[in-house]
Amino acid sequence: MTDTPSRTWKTASGIPLKSSYCREDIPQWYLPEINKAPGELPYQRGAFAQGYRSKPWRIFQLSGFGKPEDENERIKFLLAHGETGFLMEHDRNTADHMYNVDHPDVLARPQDVGLTGAVMQSIRDIDICLSDLPISTTFGHAGGAVVQHAPFALAGYWTVAKRRGLSLETLPGTGQSDFFLTYHGCVPKHQIPTAAGLRFNADIIEFCYKYVKRWVPVSIAAYNGADTGLNAYQELGALFANAVEYLDEIKRRDSMPLEAAAKACGGVNFRLSMDLFEEASKIRAGRKMWADLLERRYGISDAKARQLRIHCVTSGSNMTYQQPLNNIVRGTLMALAGVLSGIQSLGISGYDEALSIPSEHAHQMSVRIQQILQHETNVPAVVDPLGGSYYIESLTAELIERAWSFFDEIQSRGGFLETLNTGWLHHCAHENQHEDFLAQERKERIIVGVNDFRADISPFEVDGFVGVNDAFDVAMQRLKDVRATRAQRPAAQALHNLERVCRNSENIMPAMMDALDAEVTLGEIGDVWRSVLGDWVAPQITI
Amino acid sequence: MKNSARILIAKTGLDGHWRGASLVARALREAGFDVVMAGMSSWEEIVQAISDKEVDLLGISIGGHMEVAERAIAEARKVRPDLPVMVGGVVPPWAKKKLEAQGVEVYPPGSQMSEITEGAQRLTGYRAEPMPGSDTGRSQA
Ligand code: B12
Repeated sequence: MTDTPSRTWKTASGIPLKSSYCREDIPQWYLPEINKAPGELPYQRGAFAQGYRSKPWRIFQLSGFGKPEDENERIKFLLAHGETGFLMEHDRNTADHMYNVDHPDVLARPQDVGLTGAVMQSIRDIDICLSDLPISTTFGHAGGAVVQHAPFALAGYWTVAKRRGLSLETLPGTGQSDFFLTYHGCVPKHQIPTAAGLRFNADIIEFCYKYVKRWVPVSIAAYNGADTGLNAYQELGALFANAVEYLDEIKRRDSMPLEAAAKACGGVNFRLSMDLFEEASKIRAGRKMWADLLERRYGISDAKARQLRIHCVTSGSNMTYQQPLNNIVRGTLMALAGVLSGIQSLGISGYDEALSIPSEHAHQMSVRIQQILQHETNVPAVVDPLGGSYYIESLTAELIERAWSFFDEIQSRGGFLETLNTGWLHHCAHENQHEDFLAQERKERIIVGVNDFRADISPFEVDGFVGVNDAFDVAMQRLKDVRATRAQRPAAQALHNLERVCRNSENIMPAMMDALDAEVTLGEIGDVWRSVLGDWVAPQITI
Repeated sequence: MKNSARILIAKTGLDGHWRGASLVARALREAGFDVVMAGMSSWEEIVQAISDKEVDLLGISIGGHMEVAERAIAEARKVRPDLPVMVGGVVPPWAKKKLEAQGVEVYPPGSQMSEITEGAQRLTGYRAEPMPGSDTGRSQA
């Protein structure tokens, strides 16, 4: 059924494919690169010479729900099963909007609270979520994927670390603070404007440079743009268009060496999707593009500063609702594309992805797939095992060309922030998705179990995960408690000072650290953002 | 045969997922429906919108908890007992059965757009004349 003679062979992003490749298919300009070794500039063969021999990729799964203690328990479960970093999810209703649970928009849907992340309204909640977790040695994701929330999540995590007597200098982790999620993928009801978001991210980069030196201050997650619909080369082009906004801002400020800023922005996040070779080529292309961009645009020659470190997540969109156990296979194949192309960190979406956040068993499976890849397949033994393949090398070159032209197109439309403000980037994603649905209807694209091969004799039904039902009530009680029992004067002073800093152009982070330490709450800080920074006008397409 | 039918599409959650609802809206518009996007809405806002806008079909994209969507549907039916309801989004099998038992049509992830537009045509009794030169690939006859 799938193999009709009329089938046109192309990559997922639409690059036409020949039935086989030879040396002549590799463009001249790219030929010199194929003889470079892994660990050698421009790094398309790998950022590190010894690959997984020197360091296995990090097993890093998205997790969290309910009360902070529920999330803490799930993180411990994952670590016990072999996860080698951990992620904290904050409740989206409260965190992404900077609302406390008594905000009217939250009160309108109390059952939603805690559905996809734990409610953390003050340092006390963050402290509970981090109970007994090895934060000084394990790479932690503090939350704060959404831009306006990042200062809160980071200051909370760091303040807990300080209270535990740990040095911020050596604390490992990230907080993401991602424009793709915030302004492209999942547009919240309220969000600070993109220019204010840029300021926050530059503030975080500067603050980390001074005080939290091992931290990855921001992590551009083009994953979120790709899973919203951008194709492989658009994902690449848009990611670097985002990165230059950060770097240009740091350059304007002239507050730190550009090499350090490049390192700060060089821990990124791509999506791994089902077109195995295109995805592997994309990762290789990304590394070279970054190394070249830094030299060309900023004159950075330092080799280390130009290494792109990559976290990947397997595409949630390719995880089907129908016949969910098939998703275990999909997760494995998507992950393999990343492992073959030398990524540093990996999360595999759960087999119940289209049903709910991961159940414990789905989480366990995601970890086990990674362990099977690490220990049973022997794939990690050799760096860049696909290197030298005519197909992979020519596809890598082709993606680089197409990605730069998408990058240029974004520049010609006023830059990354402007294409978010105008909705142009959303439109690109929407068009791809629309096309994809048409291709499904015409059976040009077959998704097993979805538009073909629908018969299912599975002996049981996967029902997904049902969380806890006391997250809202407990959060409300804790909000009352913190308001009643904190030292009021220092809290008021810290909040006042935060507002002052927010109004001028000082770095926001020191005042955030004081505010979190003084037990100022999420919603109070959100009120400052709303009154001082205002609201982003989301493009039409997202509502 | 009516001239058109109006569909209100709302999201009950505060999560920002916009893709599903906007693609469904586009497919329905291309099938001739008049689609009103209500965005993230509380049940009160949904009730208000169906009363103000004379809608023929309520569509809900579920991103959050099932009970929030169920409440919105129940409240909508208090003011418009006859109003057909279609939902999509994150609806695990147990919730799908529950909603179907309440007479709600459920289109989970993976539903084809033609299935959704056909459902809307059946529920509203409205079917647009096929547009000459239409290249949407959908049968609208
Ligand atoms: C793509 C995606 C994203 C994209 C955003 C896409 C976008 N712009 O909308 C990105 C990557 C940014 C994203 C982010 C997040 N996501 Co998300 N995401 C998905 C994913 C993988 C696919 C959703 C999708 O767009 N599919 C394509 C569209 C076309 O399908 P659809 O929406 O299901 O719509 C179809 C049907 O459901 C139906 N339908 C939908 N609406 C309507 C309405 C009507 C009226 C009708 C008739 C039919 C209908 O028709 C459509 C066609 O078939 C789902 C999992 C999955 N596989 O479904 C998770 C999922 C929805 N996300 C989830 C979560 C938790 C998040 C995050 C919190 C993750 C994080 N920790 O960062 C953030 C949200 C942050 C925020 N601020 O809100 C959860 C939600 C869990 C829950 N509600 O219980 C899911 C289920 C994944 C999971 N298992 O954890 N996500």
